[in-house]
Amino acid sequence: MNSIENDPTRDPLFQLNMILWLAQPLPINASIKPLLYNKGFMVHAISPLLTVPPDVRIAAQEAQVVLQDVVCPDVVLSNEINRKYSIFECKASSFSPSSSTAKQARSLFVVSGSRAAEVLGLVSDQVSESLLIFGTRESERNRFEPSLNSLFSEIQAKRLPAGQFSILGFLFAGTDISVNTDNKGAMFFGIQAGINKLAEHEPDTDPRPLYFIPYDPDIDQSALERAFCKRILFERIHSTIISAVGRANPPFRFTLDSRSMLMDATFGMYGLWQKKESLKHMRWLCREFMQALSQAINAVFPDIIIYVPEQGWTISIRDQNEYEKALDAFASFSCETLDLSTVPQPTLFDEL
Amino acid sequence: MSEFALGTIKNRTQMIRFFDGYSEERVEELDERKLKRPLVKTHLLEVLNGQCSSLSEALPSIFKRCGIEIKALDDELFLVSDLNIGEIGFLEQLTSRIIALYSTNKSDVLYPWVRNLVFRNSDLDHVWLSGLTFGVLWELVVKLSRPHRFTRLVFTHQSIFDIDNITIEDVDEDEEPIQQLDDDNLGEIVERRATRFSLVDRVGVIQSKLNGLQQIYSPLYAISQLRFPSPIGRGGHDFYDNGRVTNRSESFRDHRSHILFVVRIYQQLLNETENKTWYSITESIGIPGQFHRIVGAPVVINFEQPLEKGVFDRWISATFERKRNRFRLWGHPIRLGPTKVHVYGVDRHLWLPIFLELTAKGCTAIIPKQTCGNTVHRLVTNIQRYLDPGAQAFIGNKSYSEIVKDSAQGVKYELDRE
Repeated sequence: MNSIENDPTRDPLFQLNMILWLAQPLPINASIKPLLYNKGFMVHAISPLLTVPPDVRIAAQEAQVVLQDVVCPDVVLSNEINRKYSIFECKASSFSPSSSTAKQARSLFVVSGSRAAEVLGLVSDQVSESLLIFGTRESERNRFEPSLNSLFSEIQAKRLPAGQFSILGFLFAGTDISVNTDNKGAMFFGIQAGINKLAEHEPDTDPRPLYFIPYDPDIDQSALERAFCKRILFERIHSTIISAVGRANPPFRFTLDSRSMLMDATFGMYGLWQKKESLKHMRWLCREFMQALSQAINAVFPDIIIYVPEQGWTISIRDQNEYEKALDAFASFSCETLDLSTVPQPTLFDEL
Repeated sequence: MSEFALGTIKNRTQMIRFFDGYSEERVEELDERKLKRPLVKTHLLEVLNGQCSSLSEALPSIFKRCGIEIKALDDELFLVSDLNIGEIGFLEQLTSRIIALYSTNKSDVLYPWVRNLVFRNSDLDHVWLSGLTFGVLWELVVKLSRPHRFTRLVFTHQSIFDIDNITIEDVDEDEEPIQQLDDDNLGEIVERRATRFSLVDRVGVIQSKLNGLQQIYSPLYAISQLRFPSPIGRGGHDFYDNGRVTNRSESFRDHRSHILFVVRIYQQLLNETENKTWYSITESIGIPGQFHRIVGAPVVINFEQPLEKGVFDRWISATFERKRNRFRLWGHPIRLGPTKVHVYGVDRHLWLPIFLELTAKGCTAIIPKQTCGNTVHRLVTNIQRYLDPGAQAFIGNKSYSEIVKDSAQGVKYELDRE
């Protein structure tokens, strides 16, 4: 078995990637059943920044309801034929009504309600129905429901627009990954209420799918889950570098900066993150990988990778012979040998 | 090295006339079973940067990197010379991404030369015709040919990961499959550690039997070679899975027409593959700059029968622990179970990313934007050849064979086009 615990359903990044897979076109006998795609739902927006309308913000202030002005759900799926929009937020665990997560949840209720079309930049008749969906581990449902009901009632009581919500509970039992859907979610998506099997795995096998989104610095993960995602991120940065070196014709010299590497490694998600701390965190990770790679390569071929302040990492190859040997060294390096459990720390490289 | 001074040929018309006459002589020799000179062979190659408008301008520098000189003769036609071995043949740009090398060199010189050219140049790749693609081309052969015409199909499945005493070196990509060297050889084919069927019969007979036979014995799905009978005489044009085409007809013009026909289908297939598969996060339509969404479709290949654990393990180790592996992939597998790995890797030939889930039951691939569609066709070809001849492939929720059929829709077959 691999190094990570077998049940990934608590991990919000697993939940998000599974939701993305559920909205992909897949053949009937694929390893994942695309439950939502089969009902016409596709990805409308990933990590969209949604703004609470100004009049609602004023009304909330007057009613002393604490909201976030801007909220960024994990993903919005839409069925454009039926004009249905679902706003997804993935959570590891429930939260108390006084937490900062509750503040975010109130805003999610507001943007998913009767003002959803406006918030999503659509005209009102483009949205017939909208639903806020919380993805979580099924075992958290009983803790989630009271908190969400409490917030929903609070917002309604203050006459603010609140959308309906549903919980999508992920289960891993035996060899099956499933979701448990309540009646509201089932009716909205047109699927059966209760447990829907999504995938079946061989015994003793980690059920994680390939990750579209490899890493998210802002989510609640266990140390092992974080290390797993760090490994994927590093593998993807590594493949970006191997591609760049492999495609170059010697002699050459080019510079890779952390932004371009992270954009490639995350399908462009890096460019969508807003928080400065999150961006720094990602740059630290990139730096950590590049330092380890540079050390390994330069030990054999001195000065092939040189860090240039405020530019990035310059890779220089003089001739075909050096290219072939260096390419082997780039390919042989493995991030598996790195300490994936450490949290990156700031250094002089931070501003890259 | 060619036995003729190809340098005396100045344009496309002269080239076609030369090859026409040459082909006619060879067919007469074939009839007498006394082949005095090599047959005309074409190698179809995909050029990775072929989407830019000036492929003709880019080609000389692409070839020069390998010590090969190409001299422009005519519009999109070049004479190819190797600095070490002399004249090789003619290179013609057929589409914005696909070129054809026509040569009369001996196969034991030409094939290693082409293989080495592609191996050393990440801008070039073979045109990969998978068993599933050949399945659709066979249907076209049936439509184009009268039932009494003879044709030839070869089915190749080498279970190279299914051998207990195999060493990793045994599956090195340098090992040339045996049938690749037999074009100019009239002797018996020597078989070794390979399941290979060659079927020569009338088109109508094969048409009536093939589907039934494939259902009984799945290696017959792994078509690796197919002859389009020539409509203007005996013989035909043998297409191989790596884009090689041997002219066994008396007409080069007919040979070139068939090549153009298949290349147009392949170009459409490449475009369609890339349009569907390329994953990226793009701006949502209608709200530029605000919302982004994931677009693309995964490639899914389902095996007819799950692989045994030993076969799976040998496949993974032989692919990712060897620099020169058959699948031309690089990556460090993340082991997720006894028969499941994830690889966030690179197509080692084109040096472009590809993300793979490999299990005993099949393969799922995410193809990031800009990764060439050829990567998908090479993957399908190799899986049918080395792992499971009856594997079914899908791009998104559409079957790969349907996409090939769609790509062939509306493609014209033009005889005598110059």
